[in-house]
Amino acid sequence: MKLSLSSVYTPYSFPIILKSYAFSNLCKPFCSSALSSSPPISLKPQVPLFLRPPIYSTKFCDFKKWHDWAKGIASSIGSTFVNSDNGPDSSILCRELKWLMEDAVEDHSLFSKMGFENYDERVKMRVGIEELYDLWKERIEKRRPFQYVVGCEHWRDLVLSVQEGVLIPRPETELIVDFVCDVVSKNEDLKRGVWADLGTGSGALAIGIGGASGIGGRVIATDINPVSVAVAAYNVQRYCLQDKIEVREGSWFEPLKDIEGKLAGLVSNPPYIPSKEISGLQAEVGRHEPRVALDGGIDGMDYLFHLCDGAALFLKPGGYFAFETNGEQQCRALVDYMKNKRSESLCNFEIVADFAGIQRFVIGFHH
Amino acid sequence: MAHKLIWKWKPTFMLPLTFNSQSKHVIRFHHHPFSSLKIHHPINYTTTAAAAANTSNNGDCVKAKEFLELTDEELVRQCEMDFLKSSGAGGQHRNKRESAVRLKHLPTGIIAQASEDRSQHMNRDSAVKRLRALIALKVRKTVDLDAYSPPRELLQILPPKSTVRGSEIGPQIGPKNQKFALGMQALLDLIFAVEGSISEAAKYIGLSTGALSRLILSDDSLRKEVNDLRASKGMKPLK
Ligand SMILES: C[S@@+](CC[C@H](N)C(=O)[O-])C[C@H]1O[C@@H](n2cnc3c(N)ncnc32)[C@H](O)[C@@H]1O
Repeated sequence: MKLSLSSVYTPYSFPIILKSYAFSNLCKPFCSSALSSSPPISLKPQVPLFLRPPIYSTKFCDFKKWHDWAKGIASSIGSTFVNSDNGPDSSILCRELKWLMEDAVEDHSLFSKMGFENYDERVKMRVGIEELYDLWKERIEKRRPFQYVVGCEHWRDLVLSVQEGVLIPRPETELIVDFVCDVVSKNEDLKRGVWADLGTGSGALAIGIGGASGIGGRVIATDINPVSVAVAAYNVQRYCLQDKIEVREGSWFEPLKDIEGKLAGLVSNPPYIPSKEISGLQAEVGRHEPRVALDGGIDGMDYLFHLCDGAALFLKPGGYFAFETNGEQQCRALVDYMKNKRSESLCNFEIVADFAGIQRFVIGFHH
Repeated sequence: MAHKLIWKWKPTFMLPLTFNSQSKHVIRFHHHPFSSLKIHHPINYTTTAAAAANTSNNGDCVKAKEFLELTDEELVRQCEMDFLKSSGAGGQHRNKRESAVRLKHLPTGIIAQASEDRSQHMNRDSAVKRLRALIALKVRKTVDLDAYSPPRELLQILPPKSTVRGSEIGPQIGPKNQKFALGMQALLDLIFAVEGSISEAAKYIGLSTGALSRLILSDDSLRKEVNDLRASKGMKPLK
């Protein structure tokens, strides 16, 4: 397991301690006080910048100086990163800078005043001005993903907490929530049943379908990575869905033994990048996101095949599944596999394109 | 590598809309370096596109109002959707904060775009809202002044002192309300029919000229549209 947990413990205080060894069931992580005897490790999910209290105060001119410095750097990048690894260009960095200011500063009316000299005013911020310099340096020099810098990602209508060790949810994956909304709106049985999101990461899919789809039953989210489990539980709590979504730690179907053959629906965006492509990824992804969330084995399909096998066993008759893949080739290989090897249990396979026209998803049903 | 998917639904009817291609309206919030990809909505578009075509194709006349009566989903299915993003594999490979959405409404050619939000989903919502407002502003339908009686959606945006507005119409609807677009569209139809004369239009809806001016000035886009018309007729702008 290649987890880099050391980088996760940063000094932001957060009032909960998750004892993730003690709980395979993290349904109510914030209220658990009766603990078992196993040695607890504490994982403190970071509080995203925009949720921290505005306890720092800076002179407006100092803030403006930082802004002009940061903007200058962003502009100087030009297309350097685009050329080296198809990374962000100046216009994207400038937009990120604007979002960083939105998250860091309490009073947004300030931004219309950036053009003026206003020496007396003070700016209330959620982070000190020195740290703001450090954060932007890390963004540019280390290519630290913007979402880790601010500790959140906007995904669908959600704002999800993310941090090193947890995959930043991608816009493509937003579509899986639409598929689920669509299928449960036509099928009461699926709507009432138990759903699972395997390899939940930040909890994006579980929270997306648990909140939006009108699913009346439960959603179980699993991940093998304890950092993901802690962050997903934090996000579930933030959206007050802890009664509906249960986060469990473990490998794929292992934490679901109690509901074998009973699942109404199964969604997953498993690691699917072929191992040899990991080293060539854009720096924000390859250097900073956890390999355990990206690397899908030699051809990237190790986990996708495993998920198909599991779907055949764990879904109930009529159950639904949707998986994200690397593209057309994986979609085809997956459908071929299910047609040849799993056709006695799975059927009605469909390949669906993402918004960029890339064949991205395989969906289907249990007989 | 540009993936180009072309919309399957071809309009099979003529559009008697007073809409010319020059007034195509593009809202841009930032410039951005990547080529745009022509993409349609991937979900079930064939069936619903046909349904949308049916609602619009009643005989020979497409009423602009009908576009606004479609649900967001139906409206989006009449659109070509461009996602402005770079080429490449996407998905887990990428970290790029590029979530701009551009909708082109094929029956009218109106383009609405949104990129100010941080999630693609939210940008899509904003683009649809903008598209609705633009349809209301840009798509005109002819009004028979001799037989004119203000439609309900117009009455709803009028102030209570209008003499043609009965109490059964309910409270006045303001620019923040979604239904304002429909009323605004009907008001513009009338103002275009009287060639930009506010005093003429006011008579048809039981308001004083001053009261109608105030209503027009309460919404920036409505004011701009009226003033553009007045400018084209050599009239002074409302202020
Ligand atoms: C590509 S990420 C997807 C995260 C999230 N579902 C999303 O879409 O944003 C894959 C996830 O699978 C998890 N994972 C990897 N191996 C796993 C395993 N053996 N069992 C369960 N989860 C695993 C990773 O920790 C990671 O969170």
